[in-house]
Amino acid sequence: MQSKTSFFNLALFKKNISRTWIVGLLYFVVLLIFMPISMVISLSNFDQSWYVDSGYTKSLLMIENFSTTWVAEWGFVVSMVVAAITFWYLFSKRDNYMMHAFPVSRTSLYFTGIISSSIIALVPVILNAVILTIVAAAEHAYIFDVIWYFTFGVCVSTILFLSIAMFSLMASGQIVPGIVFYIIFNVLYLLMDVAFRITSGILLFGMTEATSYRKASVFTPVEFITNNCGVVLNKYYDNVGNVKSYTYTMGGAGYLIAYLVAAVVIFAITYFIYKAKKLETVQDFIAVPFLKPVFTIGMSFFISMVAGALIAGMVDAVKVQMYSVRFAIAIVAALIIGAIVFYASIMLIEKTVRVFSGKTFSFFLGYSALALVILIGMRCDVLKIENKVPKAQDIAWVGISSSYTMVFTDEEEIQSIRELHKNFIDDKKELRDVSVLYKDLPGSYLTFKYKLNNGKVIARTYEVVDTESELVSATYLAATEPILDYLNNPSRIKQHVIGNIWDNCDVTEMSFSTYTYDKEHNDFFSNNETFDYLTDKEKQEKFGKVYEAFLKDIDEGSVYTTSFGLKDYYGRDSEYLYNDFNFTVFNKNIPYFSDEQRFWEWDDDSQYYQNIYAQMTRQCVNTLKALKDEGFYTDESQIITYKEYSDTVGDSEGGYIY
Amino acid sequence: MIEVNNVTKKFGEFKALDELNMHVERGAIYGLVGPNGAGKSTIIRHLCGDFKQDSGSITIDGQTVYENTLLKQRFTVIPDDIFYFTQANTMDMMKFYKNMYPKFDEALFKKIMDCFPAVPPKKMVRSLSKGMQKQVAFMLSIAARPELMILDEPVDGLDPVMRRQIWSLIMSDVAENGLTVLVSSHNLRELEDVCDHVGIMNNGKILIERSLDELQTSITKIQIAFDGEMPALPDNIEVLKKISTGRVHTLIVKGEPRAAEQALSAMNPLLMDVLPLTLEEIFIYELGGENYAVKDIIF
Repeated sequence: MQSKTSFFNLALFKKNISRTWIVGLLYFVVLLIFMPISMVISLSNFDQSWYVDSGYTKSLLMIENFSTTWVAEWGFVVSMVVAAITFWYLFSKRDNYMMHAFPVSRTSLYFTGIISSSIIALVPVILNAVILTIVAAAEHAYIFDVIWYFTFGVCVSTILFLSIAMFSLMASGQIVPGIVFYIIFNVLYLLMDVAFRITSGILLFGMTEATSYRKASVFTPVEFITNNCGVVLNKYYDNVGNVKSYTYTMGGAGYLIAYLVAAVVIFAITYFIYKAKKLETVQDFIAVPFLKPVFTIGMSFFISMVAGALIAGMVDAVKVQMYSVRFAIAIVAALIIGAIVFYASIMLIEKTVRVFSGKTFSFFLGYSALALVILIGMRCDVLKIENKVPKAQDIAWVGISSSYTMVFTDEEEIQSIRELHKNFIDDKKELRDVSVLYKDLPGSYLTFKYKLNNGKVIARTYEVVDTESELVSATYLAATEPILDYLNNPSRIKQHVIGNIWDNCDVTEMSFSTYTYDKEHNDFFSNNETFDYLTDKEKQEKFGKVYEAFLKDIDEGSVYTTSFGLKDYYGRDSEYLYNDFNFTVFNKNIPYFSDEQRFWEWDDDSQYYQNIYAQMTRQCVNTLKALKDEGFYTDESQIITYKEYSDTVGDSEGGYIY
Repeated sequence: MIEVNNVTKKFGEFKALDELNMHVERGAIYGLVGPNGAGKSTIIRHLCGDFKQDSGSITIDGQTVYENTLLKQRFTVIPDDIFYFTQANTMDMMKFYKNMYPKFDEALFKKIMDCFPAVPPKKMVRSLSKGMQKQVAFMLSIAARPELMILDEPVDGLDPVMRRQIWSLIMSDVAENGLTVLVSSHNLRELEDVCDHVGIMNNGKILIERSLDELQTSITKIQIAFDGEMPALPDNIEVLKKISTGRVHTLIVKGEPRAAEQALSAMNPLLMDVLPLTLEEIFIYELGGENYAVKDIIF
């Protein structure tokens, strides 16, 4: 007669709780300190604090705290600790044999362990939520929905991490690798993604910023949940920077439910692994047979791929290589390093250095062939990464950054940029080697950045060289000149470099530095006319006239023009003026949102003004005349270029400006 | 009670059990003897339900052991290295056993505890001496009222006084409750006084499995002396070994001792003495002719 199946064993449950309750208590105390106590302290002198003057309410302050507090990280740590203590017996031969010799089934051991671990990990969170609710009610901050949604997020992530912890503990026969596997499994997608991005960044055309625009993936829950499954607060400011109003949303509920389902699936898989687990695998590095080749191949491939790319990058740093040569170096290095890692990982798994056999060699050959195919596939751009230009309907906005940064949202303009980009990529066989072919020419970088409707970012950065040089080929010119023509259009410069309020703004501040040579100190004295004797209105009238002249210079192509011939935008050459010119544009009704802010995705906290800097040359005749007419300077000698400055003071590095 | 038939278990390429057969009758005290690495602990872990064999069958009372909770409630296991929960004292462990084994007799446990006043009930078991930990294990096992006790090297590492104490505890339980005991050891002398059945293991196999009575009546040591040369022995006497010192000959004779004694008496010896054999001598002579490392097993 076979035993009946029991999912719960009270004796085991009591035993588990008796071993883990201290973790639950500590967790509760930590939560208590970081949340209710911290909030009570924040709210204790709320009426006298700067929050009130800034437009904050107690509710807003509490919501803001919740919107920036960890959601997933709590569960990430606690789940592993509790699971490791509860299932500690799996990692000691003595404990393992004895626990399984007791009249208790693996089903009971497993489910009772999960129940007790869940209780220890979840009860502190729920108690904390109850206390927070009481605190909120006492402070008349009725944000119970926020508190309990946050708690729901923490609970779901805890259950998910508990399931991953269980899987990890079953995967190894040793506690330390079990914990390491837990961390790896949680960030596995991230690690693979980063490995591919590092490799692409070094080897593929235009992918130098591959590591920059990574977005939290749903497959990396510890990162994704905190970023996407919590309380999202939006504050709106008035024109003096105080909070005018706010809204909040509780995002990611769908993801949380999906994670809950995933947790159940992982628990089920882990259960079957436990049922089939051979207890003689205690103390094995990997206790689940099918994970052994996965580990060996995964480790070998990803480590060798990244290492191969890094070696190619190092060779490139010594002497710049052609694209194909760089790739060949990477492939050879990856195969050699792959062989080392491959056998090292087998040694780790088998706990012996005697792993060289016909069987492992056949396995190694299979792995190497696979790795070679993938690396050659990357070289041939099988996945069309280098050639990728997103579909117009998928693009929220597209930005181009070189000397200046412009962002386009208009459908027609998006289409135009796509065409320019495609035209550029079509000639990639020549363009990807410009640093070798035109190594003596001055150059700079050109970035295309697509923000997609789904939130993803596709960015490509290319090395470009001076188009005015006679050395560059017709192919190169055909690929790059249309881009320059597009960027140097005056209307676009005004709209995208000055910003959205360029034609509907007051110029509230303006500054132009002038320089007078002082023989005694062999240097220039700096001066700024501040017009303190004028009223604000008179100042704005004066600045407005200069601004008009400045716009005229833009129309004439004298300022804010892009050239690929300068790697150093602020280069002190014979053209650029040493004199600084900047001004502030302001519209009290239209929030300022510059292309630069959008391109780099800085905080979108609205502001109504922006300081604009312009690198002037003597070609900016309209602006310089207006500045002189309006009394910013009196004598042409006060205008100097970087070169004139260096020539006069005899110091190419420049001296102090008084 | 225990039926192990053609059980094979491999750990990687290593064959830990090789077509092993073992049979333990209800009420028997079965000694499983073998050198280190013979496979004793491996077969015991199969009997506990820890390991699953690659082939063959293992049953206790006709039921497979693996994952059979109800069956496991009927036997207890005392491994060589005993496991206690961290921080647990004797009373905590008693409560755990009480919840695990339906027949656990708390009154009996307390009674046994009274016999071992040196064991502090409130002290963490893991901090007790090895001997005390063994005592606690036996107290818990006996109080569980098992039908079968599986003991893996139960007295290994204990001093002689403690060994005697432990064995007396087991024997009294056997006498009172008629339980079956399977006990493993790498030392045959350890088991000689307590077992009624013995199985000798080596290289994952049971080399020989007999009842002690059967063994003791199947082989005899006879010292005999004749006036002059020893005459030829009758054909029906199978001599395993013969040692001669002067006119005194020591014969190890296989078969029924009484029949051998009568046959030799008919040869009119000057003197004849039938001597008992120790268990280890019996095994040496039984297996000595075969190519086994018997001395390693016994000594």
